[in-house]
Amino acid sequence: MARTTGNKNIQAKLVLLGDMGTGKTSLVLRFVKGQFFDYQESTIGAAFFTQVLSLNEATIKFDIWDTAGQERYHSLAPMYYRGAAAAVVVYDITSMESFERAKKWVQELQRQGNPNLIMFLAANKADLEEKRKVGVEDGEQYAKENGLVFLETSAKTAQNVNELFYEIAKRLAKASPSRQTGMKLHSRSQESGRRLFCCSG
Amino acid sequence: MYGTQSKRDLALEFQSQIPILRPSIHARRANLTVKFQDLYGFTVEGNVDDVNVLNEVREKVRQQGRVWWALEASKGANWYLQPSISEGQSLKASLKLSAMANAITLKRLIRKGIPPVLRPKIWFSLSGAAKKKSTAPDSYYNDLTKAVEGKVTPATRQIDHDLPRTFPGHSWLDTPEGHATLRRVLVGYSFRDSDVGYCQGLNYVAALLLLVMKTEEDAFWMLAVLLENVLVSDCYTTNLSGCHVEQRVFKDLLAKKCPRIATHLEALEFDVSLVATEWFLCLFSKSLPSETTLRVWDVLFYEGAKVLFHVALAFFKMKEEELIHSHHVGDVINILQKTTHHLFDPDELLTVAFDKIGSMTTNTISKQRKKQEPAVMAELDQRLRRLNSLKLDDK
Repeated sequence: MARTTGNKNIQAKLVLLGDMGTGKTSLVLRFVKGQFFDYQESTIGAAFFTQVLSLNEATIKFDIWDTAGQERYHSLAPMYYRGAAAAVVVYDITSMESFERAKKWVQELQRQGNPNLIMFLAANKADLEEKRKVGVEDGEQYAKENGLVFLETSAKTAQNVNELFYEIAKRLAKASPSRQTGMKLHSRSQESGRRLFCCSG
Repeated sequence: MYGTQSKRDLALEFQSQIPILRPSIHARRANLTVKFQDLYGFTVEGNVDDVNVLNEVREKVRQQGRVWWALEASKGANWYLQPSISEGQSLKASLKLSAMANAITLKRLIRKGIPPVLRPKIWFSLSGAAKKKSTAPDSYYNDLTKAVEGKVTPATRQIDHDLPRTFPGHSWLDTPEGHATLRRVLVGYSFRDSDVGYCQGLNYVAALLLLVMKTEEDAFWMLAVLLENVLVSDCYTTNLSGCHVEQRVFKDLLAKKCPRIATHLEALEFDVSLVATEWFLCLFSKSLPSETTLRVWDVLFYEGAKVLFHVALAFFKMKEEELIHSHHVGDVINILQKTTHHLFDPDELLTVAFDKIGSMTTNTISKQRKKQEPAVMAELDQRLRRLNSLKLDDK
């Protein structure tokens, strides 16, 4: 599996969480297929995507879980974020409610997720400046206080979308020990702690 | 009449207007992907083989129609609506052999498919929707939609958000009329059952019901009977507990019916709920081609929610070898997605679902649900408490 010389192959699970209609699927589709639709089918349960990003230092193979946003789907979320190496919590800058929901996701991930989880906060729909309800500084400040990486994005205009995933990839590359190749960054959560190995060799 | 009548005519027009699709020799050679509209107005992308399969399916639908007409001719119109037939439970009580024979014929016939033109009438009757409607005042649906007009609730806001996101691009659903009709059905239901309110997923189910049923009122009653009688309860309520129960039952059934696959998936740490949740909540409407979905629903409305297990298990059974040789979660998902999206031949699926999976009685499945319920409740409860303690810490 990892035959590239001098280059790491990293397989990483990435999960997107956030209120319904914040643009989680749109962000992923922009990144994976370069597409954008004004009306994206609502996601039920979750949708799965893969994408490979090559950096100088490593090749990152993303397994992306894009989850459903409606509050009642919350009870399914652990299945999707369990073992994730990175999470993107998304809110919509035109909705204060979605920002509040994002904070709840962050709290939950801090408590339940992998302690080494790389967490990003994406303030999406940045193209809708005239409808903005959540200030840039609000998002920034919250991210800073909670140790998240913050980016304002727009799946529609592609603003910061590739940057978001590249930034995640870089951090994953940095976090993974260099001597190992073909490492799986699917860390186990403590609650399922039956297995101690996380390396597939 | 409602605005839906014109839409219904439109749906029938699809069938008559669409000529047999003839892929050109060039398309055949290049194995190109072709785009076309199916029987229910959905745009389908498929290769030449898919087009051929769809043409065969169209022919089979016509043949099946002839079988139904012949039976109507010999047994009388509406023979399948006799109470002793449509209520399977009272079978034993029925001493009439002819009634029992009819019931057996009907079950077999339904598994082979209800002709699209007969679907509205047969679904409405056999599902119990007609009975449900008859217990309410005649003006129930009209009164309900009028009473809730202009009201704004969290459910209505979410419904409004999802209307343009429900099968976007569909030739009728994605029009102002389509949005307004779907809205009335979903909003109406959200007020009928405030525990359910609106759950994402119901938008797809209701949309497909609208395409099949003759009037939006009938679609509404179909949605009601589906949620209140056909499916396990609490599938769509606040924490989706019913859905969690179904997922656990499904895992057990997979281990029993497809043990090799179950073992392999466990080794890959692949939880089948990752993919199956959407199947069960949207009743396959987001994963299967429309006619195949409706064929599943034909059986669902007559035989009950166990049909969902049969069909979900069939996907795994059909791809057993491929799945066993997959090494990665992503491969498993791709295999399953490719399979479901290309199941243009409903008989191929239903043959596996019923003949290869073998029989499962509603009774055994109910027992398994009962067994799983406490664990699900405990898990959801524990989770809620953890989240609440999180909030307390916050203060």
